[in-house]
Amino acid sequence: MIAQPVIAIEGVTVRFGTTDALRDVTLHVKAGEFCALVGPSGSGKSTLMRLVNRLVVPSAGQVRVRGQDVATLPAPALRRSIGYAMQSVGLFPHRTVAENIGTVPRLLGWDAPRIARRVEELLALLRLDPAMGVRLPRALSGGQAQRVGIARALAADPDILLMDEPFGAVDPITRRELRAETRRIHAETGKTILLVTHDPEEALELASHVVVLRDGRIEADGAPADLVAPDAAPFVRELLGGGQPGLRWLSLLPARGALDPRPAPVGAAMLARNASLADALSVLAESGDEALGMEGEKGSVRAEGILGARR
Amino acid sequence: MILALIAIAALLLPLPFLGVAPNRLLPGEGVSALDAAGFWVAVPVVLLALGAWRRLPGWAGAAAAALGVVAVLGLAGAAANDRLADLAPAARASFGAGFWVAIVAGLSLVAMRGAWMGLAVAVGAAVLWAMGGLDRLSLVVEATARADALQSAIWTHLALAGAALALALLVAVPLAWAGFRRPRLGAVMGAALSGVQVVPAIALFALLIPLLAALLRAVPALRDLGLGAVGWLPAVLATAAYLALPLWRSLSGGLASADPAAVQAAEAMGMTEGRILAEVRLPLALPVFAGGLRVAVVQAIGLVTLGGLVGAGGLGAVVFEGLSQFATDLMLLGALPILLLALAADTLARAAENRLARPA
Repeated sequence: MIAQPVIAIEGVTVRFGTTDALRDVTLHVKAGEFCALVGPSGSGKSTLMRLVNRLVVPSAGQVRVRGQDVATLPAPALRRSIGYAMQSVGLFPHRTVAENIGTVPRLLGWDAPRIARRVEELLALLRLDPAMGVRLPRALSGGQAQRVGIARALAADPDILLMDEPFGAVDPITRRELRAETRRIHAETGKTILLVTHDPEEALELASHVVVLRDGRIEADGAPADLVAPDAAPFVRELLGGGQPGLRWLSLLPARGALDPRPAPVGAAMLARNASLADALSVLAESGDEALGMEGEKGSVRAEGILGARR
Repeated sequence: MILALIAIAALLLPLPFLGVAPNRLLPGEGVSALDAAGFWVAVPVVLLALGAWRRLPGWAGAAAAALGVVAVLGLAGAAANDRLADLAPAARASFGAGFWVAIVAGLSLVAMRGAWMGLAVAVGAAVLWAMGGLDRLSLVVEATARADALQSAIWTHLALAGAALALALLVAVPLAWAGFRRPRLGAVMGAALSGVQVVPAIALFALLIPLLAALLRAVPALRDLGLGAVGWLPAVLATAAYLALPLWRSLSGGLASADPAAVQAAEAMGMTEGRILAEVRLPLALPVFAGGLRVAVVQAIGLVTLGGLVGAGGLGAVVFEGLSQFATDLMLLGALPILLLALAADTLARAAENRLARPA
């Protein structure tokens, strides 16, 4: 059986007035994927995401979620089944943190004790102080508000989570924490996540599937390492490469793939099993050794092997 | 400090404190506070001075000032009893400039040092009245003689103001919603409603009479519904026309004040338009709307006064009757309750507003 994509966007064009925000876009996202939409501002990435919960209606083409054409579904029910977190968070200022988090469960008619239990779980999942539930949003820091926003998006345990630049408005340290949190949540829950970001590093770090947009079209669509590989399209390499596309490419390839059958010299530095080629290169540069060992492997990782990734 | 000085000066200088006249229409002969009350003037003077003394805590200062105001009133009442004792029953004692200056300055002092002590002034005045201490003052004589008419005028006044407010809400709420959904329409509404404010109130009240008369001629069936070109109808319509602007403006402003991100989030989480209105837009609009409602209530109580000119009755009718007879006390009899009603409405509405503005 061929796995159905959980999100299927087929030949969609979105027209706002006289301009096309999206032109004939096709995108499939499989269940459990972490898919990042990257591109400069105005490239249509947010519009593409908002098609999924019908905040945007296509002028042409079809959007299917879980195999059903969204145009045939009632919008409120569809939206309640999909989590949504955004940069401006949009917490309800007159409602407490707990009430904010419990919004969708309440719309779905859960009873009060069940909502209370779920809110408690989510505060723990997002590592928020349980006592924070009774506070109003104005008492939260930017990072806390963002965590509450993500908890609210996860409240009814949706299988799909849409995140529109959720880490854009917080300081760099908080952003790093939130990214790690998101990766952990994805690993623990196996949800399908669609993330809009203008930060290429964020996309490459988090996603298993990266989609690059420009002027309403998809420029590239694939695994992160493939999009910065030397044979990728120049615009994509430039956008994602961050000035040193070669190094970024190596950082996305596993060092295990360059294992050489020759054993590592005695006393050579050891790499972790999940190290990337860029990690290996960094250790080589620091140690001055010719070859490195790897934990649990007999062979070695050598400079020529790392640089041979191209071949 | 300066307020106490003004009040004391009004009591000690040879200003007319009380006017004594043979009947209610003739101008009176002025009597100064010193002449009227003799050394008893020292009582309010000392109390008012204490009220301004900074070493006293606020509540004590306010209490002294409040007692001072009551003492001024008491002196006026006693002086009236005294002066009119030998005169015919038609003779009147009315308040003079010195009395008004002392009372207004004294009340301002109370308001500055502790406004809630205003209650003590009201209680003090009521006690004086109950004990007969004010019986010969012209205002009290007038009020006693017209007690029933005055009471029904107050109720009519409140009913007219309430009806105008209800009508204005009935118009402003749907207009605000329509203007919110279509901003261009909203701009037109704003201009039209502001245009009404430019028309002088008296002109609008008067203008409605021929307009309504023409309408009733054209559609006589309306007459059977109890509508008339004079009376309550033009008063309520004209007042409502003025109230529509503050209500509409505060509603529109309140609806627009909701954080767009919160509204967007509500939509994205699957709230229907009706739920977004009920759960997000209206709760966030309420504090802004409460401010507009307060303005409208106070304006309604004031504007309905003009209904006295178009046969609607109410306290305005009392004021205008006093004006036409040049009977100052009758004017005051109408005007003072209007002032008190407006102050009371403002205080109540402000308290409600503060409650709404405070987070739960």
